[in-house]
Amino acid sequence: MCSKAVYWSTVVASNSIALRLSGMFALVALLVFLLIGWALYLQVDKGLGLLPEAEVDARYSVLESQVQRFGDLEHWGKLSSKLRLLSEEDKRLRFWVVSDHPNYEFGNPDPEIRAFAKGPLGMRDLNLSDHDYPFKVLVSEFPAKDQRPPLRFLTAIDTETFWQTQHSLLIALISLAAIGIALASALGYWVARIGLKPLLDLSLEARKLTPPHLSGRLQLSSLPPELDQFVTSFNSTLGRVEQAYSRLESFNADVAHELRSPLTNLIGQTQVALTRGRSAEHYFEVLQSNLEELERLRSIINDMLFLASADQGSRATELTESSLAEEVATTLDYLDFILEDAQVQVQVRGNAHAPIEKAHLRRALINLLHNAVQHTSPGQVIHVDILDEGDHVSIGVTNPGAQISGEHLPKLFERFYRVDASRSNSGANHGLGLAIVKAIALMHGGTVFARSEHGENTFGINLPC
Amino acid sequence: MRVLIIEDEEKTADYLHRGLTEQGYTTDVAREGIEGLHMALESDYAVIILDVMLPGLDGYGVLRALRARKQTPVIMLTARENVDDRIRGLREGADDYLGKPFSFLELVARLQALTRRSGGHEPVQISIADLWIDLISRKATRAGARLDLTAKEFSLLSVLARRHGEILSKTSIAEMVWDINFDSDANVVEVAIKRLRAKLDGPFEQKLLHTIRGMGYVLESRVLEHRRGE
Repeated sequence: MCSKAVYWSTVVASNSIALRLSGMFALVALLVFLLIGWALYLQVDKGLGLLPEAEVDARYSVLESQVQRFGDLEHWGKLSSKLRLLSEEDKRLRFWVVSDHPNYEFGNPDPEIRAFAKGPLGMRDLNLSDHDYPFKVLVSEFPAKDQRPPLRFLTAIDTETFWQTQHSLLIALISLAAIGIALASALGYWVARIGLKPLLDLSLEARKLTPPHLSGRLQLSSLPPELDQFVTSFNSTLGRVEQAYSRLESFNADVAHELRSPLTNLIGQTQVALTRGRSAEHYFEVLQSNLEELERLRSIINDMLFLASADQGSRATELTESSLAEEVATTLDYLDFILEDAQVQVQVRGNAHAPIEKAHLRRALINLLHNAVQHTSPGQVIHVDILDEGDHVSIGVTNPGAQISGEHLPKLFERFYRVDASRSNSGANHGLGLAIVKAIALMHGGTVFARSEHGENTFGINLPC
Repeated sequence: MRVLIIEDEEKTADYLHRGLTEQGYTTDVAREGIEGLHMALESDYAVIILDVMLPGLDGYGVLRALRARKQTPVIMLTARENVDDRIRGLREGADDYLGKPFSFLELVARLQALTRRSGGHEPVQISIADLWIDLISRKATRAGARLDLTAKEFSLLSVLARRHGEILSKTSIAEMVWDINFDSDANVVEVAIKRLRAKLDGPFEQKLLHTIRGMGYVLESRVLEHRRGE
């Protein structure tokens, strides 16, 4: 539980998935609300805008025929009281009648109204100085009839309520959106936390898998399928780490072993020689034997240093575009006596060109060929195949020999790896030859390969061209 | 010929001093950088052997200060086998470079190469006891009889003959005969020597090609048997 609390506190503190998800939910909510709110508002705005005009039209159409019909003061009185009644009933309504005769007027039109009434006919907006919102006004004209002079009839409606409705709608929309966004992000955070629960469990489980407990694996069964791939690749990475870890351990043991046998000889021989007086020849012999062991140590150390520098990413620098067949020929020239002694023939097939550091490549070729010679019986033939594969070139050294099982094949390029576990130490051959080939391939940005099929074993390197 | 050794590691300095003295060089030893630089500037040495890691002023510092005033040949020694170190050493004016652990024979060979560079002439014919070699026509005879050598065998013989009386390591033989300058698993030099020996010494009483265990090979006429304890 404690670690869980720690986990969540770090989650909240950093830019966690849960926080980011809830943030994104909020953003999505904001966008959705904005879009819907805007559309809604536009729609309502359009409707509200038409409403006052419709109302004015309706009022006017009721009154129009009456105004049309009356021609004397008696009728005018009836109309005036009706207009008064209407505007008292509905406070938003206003009527003005403007004419040349004061008896045939209504609504006490001031000069502002008179000026407005003289303007064009039809639906117009009227802004009065003592009023915040404009009036929607229908200006209509009636010609003279009987005693009545021609007059202008103004039906007006105050748009204040419409504006206010619109305003409160806007406020409602905004506050709803704000609440929605807050809810979406809060719920989103909660949902994300629940959704990420398997991830938390996984990380708690993974935390237990540190050296030296590398043999454990993450369990797949209880996890959601989305994490399958992650767990699988995590487990395979863990597998590689475990392999590398154990390889490193056995490598260290191998190094110690390789150094220990010459050191044992050195210490032992020297001590034996010094326990009593010896002849000059004896001392001479001990020194010579010591020197041989020391040379062996030196050669191991130099090879280890070479491998270490390749491990540290040291690259071949003095690259020259060279014919690989020529390099193979030079190497065969060097190995000529060895090949003759072993009564082994070498056939070179194909050619290709690649940028290489000659000394390094020769060293790799010598090791590959020497390895092949050691596993070839007298009278047999070793083949060197140089192939141009387009994006890379390959040099493969093939010798007839017993099948090597697939389990050993890729590991033969590892340091000190031997197929038979007994560490037979044959002279200068200390099990680093093929490891050096691999290091040289890496230094050129290339790879190594090994095949064993149809009674032939092939070891080789691929180099970029 | 005077050689200055600038090396703080006592055992190394001691054996270099003894070994080079026995090889006929007059040697001085400096145990730290500033003292070494002072000696190098004061006296004229044929070659300076300079360790990179020194107390006080390090090898690069000594080299830089020396190069400001003198062009004495310098062989750098270092425990760090690093290409960058090598490039840096050579760029700052070192004439040669040896990584520890190095073999004493290798050092002597490099020393000779550096001192020989100025002047000296290559012989055309060499004779050792009843062996006679013509380097131009690439012929060799022993007691008047022509030796039937392959081209590589002759190259090997001529390398040994040019340096007769001198122990040559397998590494330097491989470098001089095959231009291979790294250790390899293949014991090519051993096999080649065995072949050459069969043709050169096989039928003769007096052996000329000798193995010095752990060090290398030498071509010489030995009047005193057991001189080298064989």
